[in-house]
Amino acid sequence: MEFSDITAFLPILLKGALITVQITIGALLLSTLLGLLLALMKLSPVRALSLTAGTFINVVRGLPIIVQLFYIYFVLPELGIQLSAFQASIIGLGVAYSAYQAENFRAGIEAIEAGQIEAARSIGMKSKLIMRRVVLPQAIRIALPPYGNTAVMILKDSSLASTITVAEMTRAGQLIAASTFQNTTVYTLVALLYLCLSLPLIFGVNRLERYFGKSAKGGKA
Amino acid sequence: MININAIHKSFGDVEVLKGVSLTVAKGEVVCLIGPSGSGKSTVLRCINGLESYDQGSITINDRQVDVASKDINDLRTQVGMVFQRFNLFPHRTVVENVMEGPIFVKNEPRETAHANAIALLEKVGLGDKVEAYPQQLSGGQQQRVAIARALAMQPEAILFDEPTSALDPELVGDVLIVMRDLANEGMTMVVVTHEMGFAKEVADRVCFLYGGQIVESGDAHTLLTQPTHERTQDFLRRVLNH
Repeated sequence: MEFSDITAFLPILLKGALITVQITIGALLLSTLLGLLLALMKLSPVRALSLTAGTFINVVRGLPIIVQLFYIYFVLPELGIQLSAFQASIIGLGVAYSAYQAENFRAGIEAIEAGQIEAARSIGMKSKLIMRRVVLPQAIRIALPPYGNTAVMILKDSSLASTITVAEMTRAGQLIAASTFQNTTVYTLVALLYLCLSLPLIFGVNRLERYFGKSAKGGKA
Repeated sequence: MININAIHKSFGDVEVLKGVSLTVAKGEVVCLIGPSGSGKSTVLRCINGLESYDQGSITINDRQVDVASKDINDLRTQVGMVFQRFNLFPHRTVVENVMEGPIFVKNEPRETAHANAIALLEKVGLGDKVEAYPQQLSGGQQQRVAIARALAMQPEAILFDEPTSALDPELVGDVLIVMRDLANEGMTMVVVTHEMGFAKEVADRVCFLYGGQIVESGDAHTLLTQPTHERTQDFLRRVLNH
Protein backbone atom coordinates (compact mmCIF):
# COMPACT_ATOMS: atom_id res chain seq x y z
CA MET A 1 0.00 0.00 0.00
CA GLU A 2 1.62 3.19 -1.20
CA PHE A 3 0.85 6.60 0.21
CA SER A 4 0.78 8.03 -3.30
CA ASP A 5 -1.99 5.56 -4.16
CA ILE A 6 -4.07 6.90 -1.29
CA THR A 7 -3.67 10.52 -2.37
CA ALA A 8 -4.55 9.51 -5.92
CA PHE A 9 -7.65 7.50 -4.99
CA LEU A 10 -9.01 9.71 -2.25
CA PRO A 11 -10.37 12.58 -4.41
CA ILE A 12 -12.29 10.11 -6.58
CA LEU A 13 -13.68 8.30 -3.57
CA LEU A 14 -14.65 11.60 -1.91
CA LYS A 15 -16.59 12.56 -5.02
CA GLY A 16 -18.38 9.25 -4.64
CA ALA A 17 -18.90 9.94 -0.96
CA LEU A 18 -20.66 13.20 -1.83
CA ILE A 19 -23.13 11.27 -4.01
CA THR A 20 -23.54 8.70 -1.23
CA VAL A 21 -24.48 11.50 1.14
CA GLN A 22 -26.89 13.02 -1.36
CA ILE A 23 -28.64 9.70 -1.95
CA THR A 24 -28.83 9.06 1.79
CA ILE A 25 -30.34 12.46 2.56
CA GLY A 26 -32.76 12.25 -0.36
CA ALA A 27 -33.90 8.75 0.54
CA LEU A 28 -34.12 9.62 4.24
CA LEU A 29 -36.38 12.61 3.52
CA LEU A 30 -38.57 10.66 1.13
CA SER A 31 -38.85 7.68 3.48
CA THR A 32 -39.70 10.00 6.40
CA LEU A 33 -42.54 11.77 4.61
CA LEU A 34 -43.88 8.64 2.98
CA GLY A 35 -43.41 6.63 6.19
CA LEU A 36 -45.35 9.17 8.26
CA LEU A 37 -48.14 9.19 5.71
CA LEU A 38 -48.26 5.38 5.68
CA ALA A 39 -48.25 5.22 9.49
CA LEU A 40 -51.16 7.67 9.73
CA MET A 41 -53.01 5.76 7.00
CA LYS A 42 -52.42 2.45 8.73
CA LEU A 43 -53.79 3.82 12.02
CA SER A 44 -56.75 5.45 10.30
CA PRO A 45 -60.22 4.23 11.24
CA VAL A 46 -61.04 4.28 7.51
CA ARG A 47 -60.55 0.65 6.56
CA ALA A 48 -59.67 1.30 2.94
CA LEU A 49 -56.78 3.51 4.02
CA SER A 50 -55.38 1.16 6.63
CA LEU A 51 -55.70 -1.81 4.29
CA THR A 52 -53.94 0.02 1.45
CA ALA A 53 -51.11 1.12 3.72
CA GLY A 54 -50.79 -2.33 5.30
CA THR A 55 -50.59 -4.04 1.91
CA PHE A 56 -48.07 -1.54 0.59
CA ILE A 57 -45.87 -1.94 3.68
CA ASN A 58 -45.92 -5.74 3.49
CA VAL A 59 -45.18 -5.87 -0.24
CA VAL A 60 -42.29 -3.42 0.06
CA ARG A 61 -40.87 -5.20 3.10
CA GLY A 62 -41.15 -8.51 1.30
CA LEU A 63 -39.03 -7.44 -1.67
CA PRO A 64 -35.23 -7.17 -1.73
CA ILE A 65 -34.23 -3.53 -2.10
CA ILE A 66 -31.99 -4.39 -5.03
CA VAL A 67 -34.96 -5.85 -6.91
CA GLN A 68 -36.93 -2.67 -6.24
CA LEU A 69 -34.06 -0.60 -7.62
CA PHE A 70 -33.85 -2.76 -10.75
CA TYR A 71 -37.59 -2.45 -11.18
CA ILE A 72 -37.57 1.31 -10.95
CA TYR A 73 -34.49 1.77 -13.13
CA PHE A 74 -35.01 -0.93 -15.77
CA VAL A 75 -38.76 -1.63 -15.86
CA LEU A 76 -40.34 1.80 -15.39
CA PRO A 77 -38.74 3.18 -18.59
CA GLU A 78 -40.63 0.50 -20.51
CA LEU A 79 -43.80 1.99 -19.03
CA GLY A 80 -42.70 5.41 -20.22
CA ILE A 81 -41.27 6.69 -16.93
CA GLN A 82 -37.67 7.79 -17.48
CA LEU A 83 -35.55 8.37 -14.41
CA SER A 84 -31.84 9.04 -14.09
CA ALA A 85 -29.94 6.41 -12.13
CA PHE A 86 -29.47 8.97 -9.34
CA GLN A 87 -33.20 9.73 -9.16
CA ALA A 88 -34.07 6.05 -9.33
CA SER A 89 -31.75 5.25 -6.42
CA ILE A 90 -33.30 7.95 -4.20
CA ILE A 91 -36.83 6.89 -5.05
CA GLY A 92 -36.03 3.18 -4.75
CA LEU A 93 -34.34 3.48 -1.35
CA GLY A 94 -36.88 6.07 -0.16
CA VAL A 95 -39.85 3.87 -1.00
CA ALA A 96 -38.19 0.71 0.32
CA TYR A 97 -37.37 2.35 3.64
CA SER A 98 -40.71 4.13 3.95
CA ALA A 99 -42.16 0.77 4.97
CA TYR A 100 -39.70 0.48 7.87
CA GLN A 101 -40.16 4.14 8.78
CA ALA A 102 -43.92 3.63 8.81
CA GLU A 103 -43.51 0.82 11.32
CA ASN A 104 -41.17 2.99 13.44
CA PHE A 105 -43.69 5.82 13.50
CA ARG A 106 -46.65 3.54 14.09
CA ALA A 107 -44.95 1.93 17.07
CA GLY A 108 -44.20 5.41 18.44
CA ILE A 109 -47.76 6.61 18.00
CA GLU A 110 -49.25 3.45 19.47
CA ALA A 111 -47.02 3.72 22.51
CA ILE A 112 -48.82 6.90 23.59
CA GLU A 113 -51.17 6.14 26.46
CA ALA A 114 -54.88 6.40 25.76
CA GLY A 115 -55.08 8.71 28.78
CA GLN A 116 -53.08 11.35 26.91
CA ILE A 117 -55.65 11.46 24.14
CA GLU A 118 -58.52 11.46 26.61
CA ALA A 119 -56.99 14.36 28.52
CA ALA A 120 -56.56 16.30 25.28
CA ARG A 121 -60.14 15.55 24.28
CA SER A 122 -61.40 16.62 27.68
CA ILE A 123 -60.10 20.13 27.06
CA GLY A 124 -61.89 20.21 23.71
CA MET A 125 -58.97 19.45 21.38
CA LYS A 126 -59.89 18.02 17.99
CA SER A 127 -58.25 14.94 16.47
CA LYS A 128 -55.81 16.80 14.21
CA LEU A 129 -54.73 19.14 16.99
CA ILE A 130 -54.28 16.18 19.34
CA MET A 131 -52.12 14.46 16.74
CA ARG A 132 -49.98 17.57 16.24
CA ARG A 133 -49.67 18.82 19.83
CA VAL A 134 -49.94 15.70 21.98
CA VAL A 135 -49.32 12.46 20.08
CA LEU A 136 -46.64 13.24 17.49
CA PRO A 137 -44.26 15.19 19.78
CA GLN A 138 -44.22 12.24 22.17
CA ALA A 139 -44.19 9.63 19.41
CA ILE A 140 -41.15 11.25 17.80
CA ARG A 141 -39.15 10.81 21.01
CA ILE A 142 -40.09 7.15 21.12
CA ALA A 143 -39.47 6.62 17.41
CA LEU A 144 -36.13 8.42 17.39
CA PRO A 145 -33.80 5.52 18.25
CA PRO A 146 -35.25 3.21 15.56
CA TYR A 147 -35.36 6.19 13.20
CA GLY A 148 -31.64 6.76 13.72
CA ASN A 149 -30.92 3.11 13.07
CA THR A 150 -32.93 3.32 9.87
CA ALA A 151 -30.90 6.36 8.78
CA VAL A 152 -27.67 4.41 9.29
CA MET A 153 -29.08 1.50 7.29
CA ILE A 154 -30.07 3.82 4.45
CA LEU A 155 -26.54 5.23 4.40
CA LYS A 156 -25.09 1.75 4.10
CA ASP A 157 -27.67 0.52 1.61
CA SER A 158 -27.06 3.54 -0.62
CA SER A 159 -24.16 1.35 -1.84
CA LEU A 160 -26.83 -0.67 -3.67
CA ALA A 161 -27.12 2.28 -6.05
CA SER A 162 -23.80 1.08 -7.47
CA THR A 163 -25.74 -1.76 -9.10
CA ILE A 164 -27.70 0.67 -11.25
CA THR A 165 -24.60 2.62 -12.34
CA VAL A 166 -24.70 5.48 -9.85
CA ALA A 167 -21.09 6.56 -9.21
CA GLU A 168 -21.46 6.69 -5.46
CA MET A 169 -18.64 5.66 -3.17
CA THR A 170 -18.83 1.87 -3.55
CA ARG A 171 -19.06 2.14 -7.34
CA ALA A 172 -16.16 4.61 -7.38
CA GLY A 173 -14.15 2.08 -5.38
CA GLN A 174 -15.07 -0.76 -7.75
CA LEU A 175 -13.97 1.30 -10.75
CA ILE A 176 -10.60 2.19 -9.20
CA ALA A 177 -10.00 -1.37 -8.04
CA ALA A 178 -10.83 -2.77 -11.45
CA SER A 179 -8.33 -0.54 -13.18
CA THR A 180 -5.50 -0.62 -10.59
CA PHE A 181 -5.93 -4.03 -8.89
CA GLN A 182 -5.20 -2.24 -5.58
CA ASN A 183 -8.06 -4.07 -3.88
CA THR A 184 -6.73 -3.82 -0.34
CA THR A 185 -6.00 -0.12 -0.49
CA VAL A 186 -9.20 0.78 -2.27
CA TYR A 187 -11.66 -1.22 -0.20
CA THR A 188 -9.94 -0.33 3.08
CA LEU A 189 -10.35 3.32 2.13
CA VAL A 190 -13.98 2.76 1.15
CA ALA A 191 -14.67 1.02 4.45
CA LEU A 192 -12.98 3.79 6.45
CA LEU A 193 -14.90 6.46 4.58
CA TYR A 194 -18.21 4.70 5.30
CA LEU A 195 -17.27 4.64 8.98
CA CYS A 196 -16.45 8.37 8.78
CA LEU A 197 -20.03 8.91 7.64
CA SER A 198 -21.88 6.37 9.76
CA LEU A 199 -20.15 6.77 13.14
CA PRO A 200 -20.94 10.50 13.49
CA LEU A 201 -24.52 9.69 12.52
CA ILE A 202 -24.68 6.98 15.20
CA PHE A 203 -23.19 9.32 17.82
CA GLY A 204 -25.54 12.11 16.73
CA VAL A 205 -28.56 9.87 17.18
CA ASN A 206 -27.31 8.79 20.61
CA ARG A 207 -26.98 12.43 21.65
CA LEU A 208 -30.43 13.32 20.37
CA GLU A 209 -31.83 10.34 22.23
CA ARG A 210 -30.27 11.54 25.47
CA TYR A 211 -31.49 15.10 24.85
CA PHE A 212 -35.06 14.05 24.12
CA GLY A 213 -34.96 11.47 26.89
CA LYS A 214 -34.03 14.22 29.32
CA SER A 215 -36.74 16.69 28.35
CA ALA A 216 -39.34 13.94 28.10
CA LYS A 217 -38.47 12.81 31.60
CA GLY A 218 -38.10 16.40 32.67
CA GLY A 219 -34.51 16.10 33.90
CA LYS A 220 -32.59 19.05 35.25
CA ALA A 221 -32.91 21.04 32.03
CA MET B 1 -77.26 21.89 34.29
CA ILE B 2 -76.29 18.25 33.65
CA ASN B 3 -79.24 16.07 32.90
CA ILE B 4 -78.80 12.32 32.53
CA ASN B 5 -81.91 10.46 31.55
CA ALA B 6 -82.04 6.68 31.70
CA ILE B 7 -78.78 5.91 29.90
CA HIS B 8 -77.80 2.39 29.00
CA LYS B 9 -74.37 1.29 27.94
CA SER B 10 -72.91 -2.08 27.02
CA PHE B 11 -69.35 -3.18 26.40
CA GLY B 12 -69.89 -6.16 24.15
CA ASP B 13 -72.31 -8.45 25.93
CA VAL B 14 -71.87 -6.80 29.29
CA GLU B 15 -74.36 -4.13 30.15
CA VAL B 16 -72.48 -1.76 32.45
CA LEU B 17 -75.15 0.94 32.74
CA LYS B 18 -78.75 -0.15 33.13
CA GLY B 19 -80.77 3.01 33.05
CA VAL B 20 -78.91 5.62 35.06
CA SER B 21 -80.66 8.94 35.63
CA LEU B 22 -79.09 11.87 37.41
CA THR B 23 -79.63 15.60 37.46
CA VAL B 24 -76.92 17.94 38.64
CA ALA B 25 -77.88 21.54 39.29
CA LYS B 26 -75.54 24.46 38.85
CA GLY B 27 -73.22 24.78 41.83
CA GLU B 28 -74.07 21.36 43.14
CA VAL B 29 -71.47 18.81 44.23
CA VAL B 30 -72.50 15.22 43.60
CA CYS B 31 -70.38 12.26 44.64
CA LEU B 32 -70.78 8.89 42.97
CA ILE B 33 -69.76 5.98 45.16
CA GLY B 34 -69.95 2.25 44.74
CA PRO B 35 -67.87 -0.87 44.32
CA SER B 36 -65.54 -1.17 41.35
CA GLY B 37 -67.34 -2.26 38.22
CA SER B 38 -70.55 -0.58 39.36
CA GLY B 39 -70.41 1.82 36.40
CA LYS B 40 -69.63 5.08 38.20
CA SER B 41 -66.60 5.97 36.05
CA THR B 42 -68.53 5.07 32.92
CA VAL B 43 -71.29 7.51 33.87
CA LEU B 44 -68.67 10.22 34.23
CA ARG B 45 -67.02 9.39 30.93
CA CYS B 46 -70.39 9.47 29.17
CA ILE B 47 -71.07 12.99 30.45
CA ASN B 48 -68.23 14.53 28.45
CA GLY B 49 -68.42 12.10 25.59
CA LEU B 50 -65.28 10.05 26.22
CA GLU B 51 -67.66 7.11 26.05
CA SER B 52 -70.80 6.88 23.96
CA TYR B 53 -74.04 5.58 25.42
CA ASP B 54 -76.51 3.25 23.73
CA GLN B 55 -79.86 4.53 24.98
CA GLY B 56 -81.26 7.45 26.91
CA SER B 57 -79.99 10.99 26.78
CA ILE B 58 -77.50 13.32 28.38
CA THR B 59 -77.81 17.07 28.08
CA ILE B 60 -75.54 19.81 29.33
CA ASN B 61 -77.36 23.13 29.54
CA ASP B 62 -80.01 21.58 27.29
CA ARG B 63 -77.47 20.64 24.62
CA GLN B 64 -77.38 16.98 23.72
CA VAL B 65 -74.10 15.13 24.37
CA ASP B 66 -73.43 13.17 21.21
CA VAL B 67 -69.95 11.75 20.61
CA ALA B 68 -70.46 11.76 16.86
CA SER B 69 -71.52 15.39 16.58
CA LYS B 70 -69.24 18.30 15.75
CA ASP B 71 -70.59 20.02 18.83
CA ILE B 72 -68.84 17.62 21.19
CA ASN B 73 -65.55 19.51 21.37
CA ASP B 74 -67.37 22.69 22.27
CA LEU B 75 -69.32 20.87 24.97
CA ARG B 76 -66.11 19.41 26.35
CA THR B 77 -64.70 22.90 26.86
CA GLN B 78 -67.65 23.51 29.20
CA VAL B 79 -67.12 20.38 31.26
CA GLY B 80 -63.62 19.77 32.55
CA MET B 81 -62.31 16.37 33.55
CA VAL B 82 -59.73 15.28 36.09
CA PHE B 83 -58.44 11.74 35.74
CA GLN B 84 -57.30 9.14 38.22
CA ARG B 85 -53.86 8.98 36.61
CA PHE B 86 -53.56 12.75 36.02
CA ASN B 87 -52.72 12.37 32.30
CA LEU B 88 -50.57 15.49 32.16
CA PHE B 89 -48.64 16.03 28.94
CA PRO B 90 -45.14 14.80 29.86
CA HIS B 91 -43.39 16.74 27.08
CA ARG B 92 -44.65 20.11 28.31
CA THR B 93 -43.90 22.06 31.43
CA VAL B 94 -46.49 22.58 34.14
CA VAL B 95 -47.48 26.03 32.89
CA GLU B 96 -47.58 24.81 29.27
CA ASN B 97 -49.92 22.02 30.33
CA VAL B 98 -52.30 24.59 31.78
CA MET B 99 -51.99 26.97 28.79
CA GLU B 100 -52.49 24.29 26.13
CA GLY B 101 -56.28 24.43 26.02
CA PRO B 102 -56.71 28.21 26.26
CA ILE B 103 -54.16 28.86 23.49
CA PHE B 104 -54.93 26.06 21.06
CA VAL B 105 -58.63 25.46 21.66
CA LYS B 106 -59.89 28.86 22.75
CA ASN B 107 -57.32 30.85 20.74
CA GLU B 108 -56.48 33.10 23.65
CA PRO B 109 -53.39 35.30 23.25
CA ARG B 110 -50.33 33.67 24.80
CA GLU B 111 -49.78 36.47 27.36
CA THR B 112 -53.35 36.24 28.68
CA ALA B 113 -53.21 32.45 28.82
CA HIS B 114 -49.85 32.58 30.59
CA ALA B 115 -51.04 35.08 33.20
CA ASN B 116 -54.18 33.05 33.86
CA ALA B 117 -52.20 29.83 34.08
CA ILE B 118 -49.81 31.33 36.64
CA ALA B 119 -52.75 32.59 38.70
CA LEU B 120 -54.40 29.17 38.64
CA LEU B 121 -51.19 27.40 39.59
CA GLU B 122 -50.78 29.76 42.52
CA LYS B 123 -54.33 29.02 43.51
CA VAL B 124 -53.62 25.28 43.67
CA GLY B 125 -50.42 25.96 45.60
CA LEU B 126 -47.91 25.34 42.82
CA GLY B 127 -46.75 28.86 42.03
CA ASP B 128 -43.15 27.70 42.46
CA LYS B 129 -43.42 24.78 40.03
CA VAL B 130 -44.55 26.48 36.84
CA GLU B 131 -41.44 25.63 34.83
CA ALA B 132 -41.07 22.07 36.11
CA TYR B 133 -41.95 19.03 34.03
CA PRO B 134 -44.76 16.80 35.33
CA GLN B 135 -42.41 13.92 36.12
CA GLN B 136 -40.52 16.13 38.58
CA LEU B 137 -43.65 16.52 40.69
CA SER B 138 -45.28 14.23 43.23
CA GLY B 139 -48.58 12.60 42.34
CA GLY B 140 -50.49 15.07 44.47
CA GLN B 141 -48.80 18.01 42.76
CA GLN B 142 -49.49 16.52 39.34
CA GLN B 143 -53.14 16.11 40.19
CA ARG B 144 -53.35 19.74 41.24
CA VAL B 145 -51.80 20.75 37.91
CA ALA B 146 -54.46 18.64 36.22
CA ILE B 147 -57.13 20.53 38.16
CA ALA B 148 -55.56 23.84 37.09
CA ARG B 149 -55.53 22.60 33.49
CA ALA B 150 -59.23 21.82 33.68
CA LEU B 151 -59.98 25.19 35.35
CA ALA B 152 -58.05 27.09 32.66
CA MET B 153 -60.83 26.32 30.20
CA GLN B 154 -63.24 28.12 32.56
CA PRO B 155 -65.62 25.18 32.55
CA GLU B 156 -69.07 25.32 34.05
CA ALA B 157 -68.56 21.96 35.69
CA ILE B 158 -65.69 19.60 36.44
CA LEU B 159 -65.86 15.83 36.52
CA PHE B 160 -63.43 14.05 38.84
CA ASP B 161 -62.72 10.38 38.14
CA GLU B 162 -61.26 8.95 41.36
CA PRO B 163 -58.85 11.87 41.62
CA THR B 164 -57.06 10.61 44.72
CA SER B 165 -57.04 6.85 44.10
CA ALA B 166 -53.57 6.82 42.54
CA LEU B 167 -52.00 8.95 45.27
CA ASP B 168 -49.92 8.04 48.28
CA PRO B 169 -52.07 8.53 51.38
CA GLU B 170 -50.11 11.54 52.63
CA LEU B 171 -50.69 13.40 49.35
CA VAL B 172 -54.44 12.95 49.24
CA GLY B 173 -55.16 15.83 51.60
CA ASP B 174 -53.70 18.59 49.43
CA VAL B 175 -55.81 17.56 46.47
CA LEU B 176 -58.97 17.29 48.55
CA ILE B 177 -58.37 20.79 49.96
CA VAL B 178 -58.21 22.22 46.44
CA MET B 179 -61.40 20.37 45.54
CA ARG B 180 -63.17 21.57 48.68
CA ASP B 181 -62.18 25.17 47.90
CA LEU B 182 -63.59 24.79 44.41
CA ALA B 183 -66.83 23.43 45.81
CA ASN B 184 -67.05 26.37 48.20
CA GLU B 185 -66.61 28.77 45.29
CA GLY B 186 -69.69 27.28 43.71
CA MET B 187 -68.15 25.04 41.05
CA THR B 188 -70.47 22.34 39.79
CA MET B 189 -68.73 19.04 40.45
CA VAL B 190 -69.41 15.37 39.86
CA VAL B 191 -66.91 13.29 41.79
CA VAL B 192 -66.33 9.56 41.60
CA THR B 193 -64.55 8.84 44.85
CA HIS B 194 -63.76 6.40 47.60
CA GLU B 195 -63.06 9.25 50.04
CA MET B 196 -66.13 8.98 52.24
CA GLY B 197 -64.87 11.76 54.51
CA PHE B 198 -64.70 14.14 51.57
CA ALA B 199 -68.13 13.05 50.35
CA LYS B 200 -69.64 13.62 53.76
CA GLU B 201 -68.04 17.02 54.20
CA VAL B 202 -68.32 18.51 50.72
CA ALA B 203 -70.99 16.75 48.69
CA ASP B 204 -74.52 18.09 48.48
CA ARG B 205 -75.67 14.71 47.31
CA VAL B 206 -74.26 11.21 47.17
CA CYS B 207 -75.37 8.50 44.75
CA PHE B 208 -74.58 4.87 45.38
CA LEU B 209 -74.18 2.81 42.24
CA TYR B 210 -74.38 -0.94 42.14
CA GLY B 211 -74.50 -3.17 39.07
CA GLY B 212 -75.00 -0.32 36.64
CA GLN B 213 -77.81 1.37 38.51
CA ILE B 214 -78.17 4.09 41.10
CA VAL B 215 -79.70 2.09 43.90
CA GLU B 216 -79.79 4.90 46.43
CA SER B 217 -79.15 8.61 46.46
CA GLY B 218 -79.72 11.39 48.90
CA ASP B 219 -78.04 14.14 50.85
CA ALA B 220 -74.55 13.16 51.85
CA HIS B 221 -75.03 12.96 55.59
CA THR B 222 -78.16 10.86 55.48
CA LEU B 223 -76.93 8.44 52.85
CA LEU B 224 -73.58 7.89 54.48
CA THR B 225 -74.85 7.54 58.04
CA GLN B 226 -78.31 6.03 57.60
CA PRO B 227 -78.38 4.17 54.30
CA THR B 228 -81.67 2.40 53.67
CA HIS B 229 -80.69 -0.02 50.91
CA GLU B 230 -79.06 -3.24 51.93
CA ARG B 231 -76.35 -2.94 49.24
CA THR B 232 -75.42 0.53 50.40
CA GLN B 233 -75.24 -0.59 54.01
CA ASP B 234 -73.05 -3.48 53.03
CA PHE B 235 -70.75 -1.32 50.90
CA LEU B 236 -70.36 1.39 53.52
CA ARG B 237 -69.62 -1.16 56.21
CA ARG B 238 -66.79 -2.54 54.11
CA VAL B 239 -65.36 0.84 53.15
CA LEU B 240 -65.56 2.45 56.57
CA ASN B 241 -64.30 -0.53 58.56
CA HIS B 242 -61.16 -1.34 56.66
